[in-house]
Amino acid sequence: MTEIATSPGARRALTIFFSSLVLFLYVPIVVLAVFSFNDGDVSFPLAGFTLDWYRRFFSNPKILQSLERSAIVAAISSVIAVGLGVTASFALLRRRFFGKSAVSALLFSPLVVPYLVFGISLLVIFTAVDKFLAASTGSYIGLGLHAVVIGHVVVSLPYTVLTIMPLLERLSVDLEEAAKDLGADPWQSFRRVTLPLLMPAIVSAFMIAFTLSFDEYAIASFLAGETPTWPVYLFAQLRVPSQLPQLLAVSSVVLVASLGVVLAAEIGRRLAERRYGDDLRPAP
Amino acid sequence: MIRAIIPARTTTRGEAVMVEKRFTREVGRRDFLRYAGYAGMSVSMAGVLAACRDADTPSGGSSGSVKASIPPIEQEPGGLQVFDWSGYGNGDYYPKEEKKFLWGQYAKATGDTPEFALFENDDSAYTKVVAGARYDVAHPCGYRYGDWVDLGVMQPWDTSLISNFPSLNPKLMAAGQFDGQQYFVPMDWGFIAPLVNLDHVDGSDETFGVLFDERYKGKIAWIDTLNMMVVAGYTLGIENPWDMSDEELAEVRDFLVSKKGLVRFYWNQSYDFWLAFKKGEVWAGYSWPDTVGYADAAGMNYLYMQPKEGRISWVCGLGLFADTENYRHAHEYANSWASKEAAEFLLAYYYYGHTNTEADPSVVPDGVRTALGLDDPTVLDEPKAHPETHIPRRSIYQQYWSEVQAA
Amino acid sequence: MAVTQQEASARRGWRRRDRRGTAGLLAGPLIWLLLFFVIPVAFVAAYSVGAVDLFPTDPGVVSLASWQRLLTGGSVYMGLFWKSIRMSLTVSAIVVLLAYPTGYFLALCVGRRKYVLLLLIIAPFLTSYLLRVLAWKVILGDAGVINSFLSWTGMQSPDDPITWFLYSRFTVMLVLAYIWVPFVALPVFVSLDKLDKSLLEAASDLGASRWRTFVRVTLPLSLSGVFAAFLFVFIPTIGEFVTPLLVGGTSGYMYGNSIQDLFTKGLDWQTGSTLALFLLGVVAVLMAAFGRFLRVRAVVA
Repeated sequence: MTEIATSPGARRALTIFFSSLVLFLYVPIVVLAVFSFNDGDVSFPLAGFTLDWYRRFFSNPKILQSLERSAIVAAISSVIAVGLGVTASFALLRRRFFGKSAVSALLFSPLVVPYLVFGISLLVIFTAVDKFLAASTGSYIGLGLHAVVIGHVVVSLPYTVLTIMPLLERLSVDLEEAAKDLGADPWQSFRRVTLPLLMPAIVSAFMIAFTLSFDEYAIASFLAGETPTWPVYLFAQLRVPSQLPQLLAVSSVVLVASLGVVLAAEIGRRLAERRYGDDLRPAP
Repeated sequence: MIRAIIPARTTTRGEAVMVEKRFTREVGRRDFLRYAGYAGMSVSMAGVLAACRDADTPSGGSSGSVKASIPPIEQEPGGLQVFDWSGYGNGDYYPKEEKKFLWGQYAKATGDTPEFALFENDDSAYTKVVAGARYDVAHPCGYRYGDWVDLGVMQPWDTSLISNFPSLNPKLMAAGQFDGQQYFVPMDWGFIAPLVNLDHVDGSDETFGVLFDERYKGKIAWIDTLNMMVVAGYTLGIENPWDMSDEELAEVRDFLVSKKGLVRFYWNQSYDFWLAFKKGEVWAGYSWPDTVGYADAAGMNYLYMQPKEGRISWVCGLGLFADTENYRHAHEYANSWASKEAAEFLLAYYYYGHTNTEADPSVVPDGVRTALGLDDPTVLDEPKAHPETHIPRRSIYQQYWSEVQAA
Repeated sequence: MAVTQQEASARRGWRRRDRRGTAGLLAGPLIWLLLFFVIPVAFVAAYSVGAVDLFPTDPGVVSLASWQRLLTGGSVYMGLFWKSIRMSLTVSAIVVLLAYPTGYFLALCVGRRKYVLLLLIIAPFLTSYLLRVLAWKVILGDAGVINSFLSWTGMQSPDDPITWFLYSRFTVMLVLAYIWVPFVALPVFVSLDKLDKSLLEAASDLGASRWRTFVRVTLPLSLSGVFAAFLFVFIPTIGEFVTPLLVGGTSGYMYGNSIQDLFTKGLDWQTGSTLALFLLGVVAVLMAAFGRFLRVRAVVA
């Protein structure tokens, strides 16, 4: 199939392009990694080799806690955002209803609202609701990671919709129809037919939402309360330069961990391929 | 799942106490419904309105009568909530030392461990409090004290409960006084002045003008705050740069616009400035004392100017929230911060001054001590230094400053 | 072509007015956005006309003054708005041009390794944005990696480093492109990945060259993905403020920065709310007007 899409020359050119893109993306990260072993601050010339920053990082429970919080928030908010994104995309593409353009405008508006303004106004509203709850029922919800999740779902939702819609739009409706004719209810036809075909979009949307949330600072800084997420923690640390190399050590470890995931995915794929052989290969 | 990550503090220590603590000002149910009907909006929106109206009216009655009925410390809930910068007790930078020097005495006196909520700068701290966040104690800087007091969320300290208070420099206490009462206890202080690299910059003429000097085109760093307007005001000889008229603001704006081309960047975090200064990307910049300390430690040939217009001095200090349930705990905490040990810690580790006059400046390296003038008892007096002051026309300043930046 | 006809007929079948199903699909996203987005935005709107105020310094009267100042050009912000739009357009165009071949490569040239490679280009983004920007400063600075290399090769004197690498509009564009390309490659990838390969085969059977196939078949079929990709980067970049703040130097000030400053340094939430809402309004109108392009199938020749 690949031969149809590209000539050998174009293929080589694309491979070179992609490799240089990967280089472009990783050069800054490698620079950070180099300085995380540097016995000095973040400027040339390098001072000497040390593992001290890593030692400090691993003995700092606050960093580990904040990383854990960010991972939890990112995981939950991206799952919700992808779920809502799928249903919204279905409604927009497969249904006819009044006010569709207004709904799509609403879905995409969070793309543009400044996160700081959004964070502040969510904070004002949550506080007001808490105040009301406190006055009327005597208990209240308070700020925390759940509030961050709520905000992150809102800002990730348009990205998930934008990622899912183009593919859903092209998926043929025939298959869903056929499943229906064979007696599947809408949920079965979605789960057995549409969902597998939609997988590339769902995986991509999840990755986008996860990274977005994991690295989001402005909203989290207003809503996290006393449970700072990793970007919030990081930002507070940057007041004093002596903290920096330790944070670089964190970033290197995060990178190695995520590359580990990449590697594991590749190994898993190869194993599965070896075991099932051609069965896994998509039909041409 | 979401339930599980709601922080534990909502369910510990009895709901009623916590609720009291954060929302002393009642939101009447009737008000709420009235607003809801009136606005004809969704329920939550009305809640917002109610809360906002509510925030307008200062919560009075915090002094006098309340004080008489303050319960003994044993009856307070403890778990003092401190709203602060990172590295001032929460252990981010020097886990052992921060605890030992800044609140060791507090822990000894009360047996309590404070809880810290962090802010990144004065702007975001104030914004969070405006939006409804409440703690026991906060640590903003002096020029913003007036805003906090105006908001009606603070109460004055009973300085008789702070045994170290008499050791604090009385001249510097004035910044925290409103209506004759000590709403903030100023503790840490520092300067704003030009830091220059003497390998490239002529240090014979000490002036803020070095930040606007054509000779150092492309090698100058400004700060990204409204204080740049003030510094320009001093350089132009304006009488009171903290409260300029429209004409003066226009003059300052035009001056800054004409000099903007000389600037390499505006800094937001002092470490940004320090890295650029160290690497030689800039030779002169608006600087705090911490960068002086780093430059000294790195053995650079630097000068922290004593500009002829006078340095700007800043103080930060502790304020007490009006609805605190930890009144006596908070005073113990402030006492701990006001101690000689805390003062020397701030000097030695952050190169910040402290209002405790008993602190020994020799804990600071000689070079930094000279640069900051720690041995000079008049270094904080006019005309050598002007205190950083509340800017009453902040939003107007902001308009002019954005015109400078947009130019 | 046959495919489009088939699909069209199938769609007619599916677009029954199944109101309950539609409501079920829309309920989740709409309720979420209503509670946690529309209400905050309503708060901002109320603030912009002075119907709500939180600060003792707020004027406390309901008026459209801040809207008037913005729309009649009585302030500096309209100029910044257009500056931001221009920059955002440039950045989006560059990013889409770089992202398209990336998505194409992933979807059509690498077979089953595609997800692993996708992860590979997304992985750097789990490293904090602030630290990555810091890394660029180290690379682009006067004594940075590139300038050191140039002076080492003798192409540039060490006393005269290239200063526009850092703190300039170039840096802002570079860093924004760096941030967005992998993300924007995703919608392109998705739209090309499930391309009906039989179309390409058919085209090549009919003797079309690969280039012709690309121009006449592949590109038109992926246009909705490209459009999504463009929106992906264009809309958020209009309000972007962090990158200009950190690496833009003195020329980096954008519309987003002024909103940020009005809310924090200036404590002028009324003007800040007005600016934020204006931006939101412009984008909502654009989306309502052009949103249909997301669904418009390019005509296949």
